[in-house]
Amino acid sequence: MPTLESIKNRLNEKYKKDIAGSETLYGDTQLFLDIRKDVVRPICNDIISEGGRYLVSVGHDDGDRSGTLGLIHTFSFDADHFKVMVKTAAPADNPVFDSITPDIPNAGWSEREYIDLLGMKFTGHPKPKRLILADDWPEGIHPLRKEVPYNLVPPAAEDVAYQLDECPPGCSVVPVGPFHPSLHEPAHFAVFVDGETIKGCDYRGFMTHRGIEKLCTTQVSYNEVPFIAERICGICGSVHATAYSQVVELAAGIKIPRRADFIRTIMLEIERIHSHLLWLGVAGHLIGFDTVFMQAWRVREQVMWLAEKITGNRKTYGMIVIGGVRRDLTPELCDDLLKVVANIEKETMTIHRAIAGDTAVHKRTKGVGALTREQVVNWSLVGPVARARNVDIDARRDHPYAAYDEMKFDVPVVDTMDVWGTVLVRILEIYEAVKIIRQAVEKMPGGPVLYEFHDPIPPMKHAITQVEAPRGEAVHYVITGEENRAERWRVRAPTYPNLQGVPAMLMNNQFADFPIIVGSIDPCFSCTDRVEVVDMRSGKASVIGSGELEKMSRKR
Amino acid sequence: MWLTSKIKQVLLVLKPGVVTLKYPFEPRPVPKNFRGAPHWDHHKCVGCGACSDHCSARTILVRDLCQELRVMLYDASRCTYCGKCADICPEKAITMTERFELATDNREDLTERLELFMLTCKRCGRCYDMENTNLIERLDMKGYRYDNLEQRAFIRKTTEQFDEKMLKKSDEYKRPTKVEA
Repeated sequence: MPTLESIKNRLNEKYKKDIAGSETLYGDTQLFLDIRKDVVRPICNDIISEGGRYLVSVGHDDGDRSGTLGLIHTFSFDADHFKVMVKTAAPADNPVFDSITPDIPNAGWSEREYIDLLGMKFTGHPKPKRLILADDWPEGIHPLRKEVPYNLVPPAAEDVAYQLDECPPGCSVVPVGPFHPSLHEPAHFAVFVDGETIKGCDYRGFMTHRGIEKLCTTQVSYNEVPFIAERICGICGSVHATAYSQVVELAAGIKIPRRADFIRTIMLEIERIHSHLLWLGVAGHLIGFDTVFMQAWRVREQVMWLAEKITGNRKTYGMIVIGGVRRDLTPELCDDLLKVVANIEKETMTIHRAIAGDTAVHKRTKGVGALTREQVVNWSLVGPVARARNVDIDARRDHPYAAYDEMKFDVPVVDTMDVWGTVLVRILEIYEAVKIIRQAVEKMPGGPVLYEFHDPIPPMKHAITQVEAPRGEAVHYVITGEENRAERWRVRAPTYPNLQGVPAMLMNNQFADFPIIVGSIDPCFSCTDRVEVVDMRSGKASVIGSGELEKMSRKR
Repeated sequence: MWLTSKIKQVLLVLKPGVVTLKYPFEPRPVPKNFRGAPHWDHHKCVGCGACSDHCSARTILVRDLCQELRVMLYDASRCTYCGKCADICPEKAITMTERFELATDNREDLTERLELFMLTCKRCGRCYDMENTNLIERLDMKGYRYDNLEQRAFIRKTTEQFDEKMLKKSDEYKRPTKVEA
C-alpha cells in the first residue's frame, strides 16, 4: 500500500537529478513534484503503476513571470487518500512536451486542449487534432495565452470543416448530432457502422465552449466565480460551486464554519437525489419505457420544490460562496426536508421494485455498453459508470470534503459491467443520499454559516479538490493570483473523462443502443434532434428525424 | 416475473393519479424565500452602490451625472437572480420579489432606473443621500427625487456643472460589445 511519503521517496531515489523540488501540502494529502520535462512520461507511468488514477492535466501561461508554459499532470490515489501533482514547464517560444497519452489514454483530451488553447506541442500524441476551438478559429491564436484578450472575436471563415477519422473499411458513417436528444450539448458523433453493429466512432464537440476559465481569470473576482461555476452544469451546479469554493478556501487557508459544511453536504445530496431521479427517467425514456420517465420525474418534483423553499430557486441554488453558505437551514426547513426525503425513499423503493424484475428493461440494458474492469481503469472513468463496472471509487469517501468525514454511508458497487449496473448504482445511491441527509440534519452543529475574511488571498498557491457529482467526480484545480482573482482555474467535469470512454462502450453494440449507451454516462438532453445517414458507397445523404431514431431505439 | 413487474407498474401509476398542475391557468404560489425579480425601493436607497460592487453579473450601473445627481441603472437582461444585491444592501432597499414571469419583447421592461439626489458633506466633500439622512436640508428644496431630469433647476449649486453628455451616455447605455480581431 503506497503512502505519500513512500511515493515521494521512491521517485526521488529513481529520478534524483530530474526532480527539482517537492512539496507536501494541505495536511499531507497533496504532493507537488517539480520535474524536468524530459521525464514526464516515465514518472507518470511510475505513478500509474503504483496505483495512481489519472485525473486531469492543467496547462497555464506563466510567460510574464518565468517565460514558460506550465503543465501539471494530476493523479489520485483513492484507497490511500492522497493526490500527486507533477509540475513541469517548457519555454513559451518552444513549448514541446512528451505526450503521456499513449500510456494514459484519458490524457488525450487534456493535451489536445492545450494544443488548442496554449499552443503546446506534444510529441507522440496519437491524435493531435483540434478539440476545443471552432473549426474556423485562425491558427496561431491561443486564447489562454495572457496576451490574448478575453473578448477577442476573430472573423468567421467559410469552407472549413473538421476532418473526421478514417472510416474502417467496409463500414458506413452515421453522423449523430450536432443536435441530438442523447447528447449532453451540441456535439457531433460520427458512428462507424457495419450493418447495425457499431465498429467505432469519432467525436467532435465543445461547440458550446464559452471560455469561462479565461473570463474568470481575467475579468471577475473570486467572489463572483461561484455563481459562474454553478452555471457550468445545469444538473450539478452546487457541485461546481462547492468545488470552486473549496479549492480557493484550501489554497487561501480559510476554515469555514462547521455548520456551513453540513449545509453544503445537504445541498449536494439534495442535488444527487434529483439528478439520479432525472437520469432514471431519461434512461427509461430512451429505452421506450415512459412509465419510469413519468413516475421518476413525478417523485423528483418534490425535491425541486424543497430546494426552492430552502434556497429560493429550483436550480442554480446560489447557496454556496467562498467562506460558507448564504442561507441557513431553519428548524422548520429541516422538518420539511426530513419529511420530503422520507417520502422520496418510499416512492423510489416502489419504482425500484417495479422495474427490478422487469425482463423488458433487462433485455435493453443487460450486456449493453459492456466494458471490462481493466478498460475502465485504463480509461480512468468515474462515477456510476465506473462503479457499475466494479471499480470502487467515490470522492466522498476517498477524499472527504464538507461534512462527509462524519457521515456513515455505503458506496454501492456492482459488477454487471453494463448499463443495467449503472441503473442499479444510481437507484442505490438515492437511498444512501437519503441516509446522509438524515445524519447531516441530526448531527448539524449550531453557529454561523458564513465566515467573513478580510485578508487578501496569497498569490501563486496551487490546490486541487475533488467533489463527487451525481454523474461522477468533478475536479477543480486553482492557482491563486493577484488582483483578487485566480491566475488559473481548471475545471474537469465528470463527463470529460466518461465521454472519452464512450467509443469503447459503443464498440460492437447495436446502433439502436447508441442513445442509451451515450445516455448512460448522463450527458444532458436537448430535444431538437436530427440524424443524418450518409451512405459512403453511393454518397447519398438521407435524413432521419427524431421520431425515427427514437422509434428504432424503442422498437428493440 | 414479467407479469408481476407489470402489475407493480400499473399500481405505481394508478396510486398517485394525476399530479400535473393547472399552471398557467391557475397561478402557482412561490415559497417565502423565492428569488424573483429584484426591486429597488427609492425611498430607502441611499445610493451607496454596494449592490453594484457585489453584483456577480455586473448588471447594475452607477453613474454620477454631477455632484448632486446619481443615476442607478439595473439591466435585468442578464441578471442571474442570485440575490446578492438584496443580501448586501445596508438599507434593505432591495427586495427579491415574487415575480418570475418576466418574459418580454422589450428590454426596457426589465430595466429599473433610479435618479438619486445627493448632497455634499461639508466636512469631507463626499456626497451622501439627503432624503433619509438630512431632514433640515430637505426643507429648502422642493420636488427632489421625483423630478425628471429636465427640471434640474431644482438642483442647487451645480447646475452649471451638469453634464449633458454624461446624461445622454447613461440614457443610451448598452452592454459592452465584442472586440473584433
